[in-house]
Amino acid sequence: MIDATLFAAEVVPLSIVDAFVEFLHPSELVGVLVDGLSKAAIYAMIAGGLTLIFGLMGVLNFAHGSLTMVGAYLGGAIMVLSVSSATGPMTRLAFFFVGIVVVFGALSAVGGALEISLIRRLYDRPPIAQILLTFGLTLIIDELMRIVLEFYDLQPRADWIAAWGTKPWFLSQRLSIGPVDVRGLALFEILMGVLTVGAIWAFLTRTRYGLFIRAGSEDSEMASALGIDVRRVFTVVFAMGTGVAGVAGMLLMWDTLWGASVPLGAETLLPAFVVVIIGGLGTFRGTVVAALLVGMVDAVMTWWFVNEIRFTGLPELTIFLILVIVLIVRPQGLYGVEGVGGH
Amino acid sequence: MTLLSLTDVHTYYGESHILEGVSLEIEAGEVVALVGRNGVGKTTTIRTILQLTPPREGTVRFKDEEIAGEETHEVARRGIGWIPEDRRIFTQLNVEENLRVAVPDRDALRPALEMAYDAFPILEERRDQRAGTLSGGQQQMLSLARGLVGENELLLVDEPSEGLAPQVVATVAESLAEAATDTSMLVVEQNLPLALDLADRFYVLDNGSIVDEGSTDEVSADSERLRRYLSA
Repeated sequence: MIDATLFAAEVVPLSIVDAFVEFLHPSELVGVLVDGLSKAAIYAMIAGGLTLIFGLMGVLNFAHGSLTMVGAYLGGAIMVLSVSSATGPMTRLAFFFVGIVVVFGALSAVGGALEISLIRRLYDRPPIAQILLTFGLTLIIDELMRIVLEFYDLQPRADWIAAWGTKPWFLSQRLSIGPVDVRGLALFEILMGVLTVGAIWAFLTRTRYGLFIRAGSEDSEMASALGIDVRRVFTVVFAMGTGVAGVAGMLLMWDTLWGASVPLGAETLLPAFVVVIIGGLGTFRGTVVAALLVGMVDAVMTWWFVNEIRFTGLPELTIFLILVIVLIVRPQGLYGVEGVGGH
Repeated sequence: MTLLSLTDVHTYYGESHILEGVSLEIEAGEVVALVGRNGVGKTTTIRTILQLTPPREGTVRFKDEEIAGEETHEVARRGIGWIPEDRRIFTQLNVEENLRVAVPDRDALRPALEMAYDAFPILEERRDQRAGTLSGGQQQMLSLARGLVGENELLLVDEPSEGLAPQVVATVAESLAEAATDTSMLVVEQNLPLALDLADRFYVLDNGSIVDEGSTDEVSADSERLRRYLSA
């Protein structure tokens, strides 16, 4: 008769069993869950604006990442200028929320101006024209930011450490909740992600303008024949999308895993596109679900590769593996429909 | 009073000359049928009025004001509604959202919805259902209801009976007849009896030009007059 324990040990190496048992320990499991949700929150925020813009206007905005980067620096500047070492934690938090409003307003204004002055002229051109234009904008925005940073003696490629230091102390430390030890900032990122996604969701489903956006994203011609000024809706959505990108940037400015730097634009653009494609181009619900999926898979794989396999470069590959599987099994994405991009 | 007038209108798709000098008029309170074979420019005439396909030459006047060159939403806000040929409901929105999107004035929303649900009770039963999951007949009712709830003085109705079961056609015809009591209409329709029942006057469009016009009473007495333009 075969000894079941010996058989299991030969077929499944004991180290993997041990690792699995360790992974299922409540403190590890909750830690991975919080990490996954915080990643999902960030992915949802950086991809949310992108999907809104594509869903209504059919524009793939390659400048989205650079606008996130501008939000990070603008938010960082607000915090660095208003916070001193004597500033208390709650005052710092209050400054952060004031900064969120300023960054959202400023980036929305920039987005609106870009749509009116440049993007609008290309609606009737092939998609390659929009891609080239927005990619060109990325280069211009990044270069302008480099000039500004060098003027203030800041390193464009290095994270802005002074901005990290403006966090309240409880967001800089790991917090113990019972047996579980989690990053304070991760909890804050989850809260911000929920607030941002909830606000966009409520705007789209509970307001009259949100109704116009959803109608216009499906059939812009019919929407205009019902009296909706679709062109203005386009401007508002582009402004809102860039505003949300800026808010995400301000949040990332505090996170030592990201930080305010010029390469932040490229670093956020790639996962944003991955999330948007997995969710289905142009569907906000799909983007939120895809952000959760990608965030959780990223967190689980990061835990395995960092703690057990000890090869830190590999977890990111799993995200692209999900992308490949989704594109093969369901090319339109999880919630995608044919013919998105009302324009 | 003349509500809408097209004078010597020329419309193109790219280099294709579709409308070659179309002129027509609709008086306030009047229902006008625009008939003709497939592909002669009937839908293009409607698109031209809405400025979805603006004319290159000619004038389009609504209540004595030029509307050629205006944006489509500006034309719609003047009180010109559209019930398109292929329904074009918003399939991702639910039934009630499809109706709400067509009512410009918030205060008018409740009575508008009541009116739509009175005319089409099935829509009230399915008010929370996604419009894309409705049957073809229900989608046509929704398209019709969406056109009727807007505060329009003129409705442009394109092939309202196309592809519908006879029972649904009767419901659609009844609703249009009721709406015609207080709204002017331009009705494009292949179903000649339906068009003539609804309309006070008719225009025949052939190869992008108006080739005949008159009152529907005239053609009732001379049934062959229209059929020679409509047979292939």
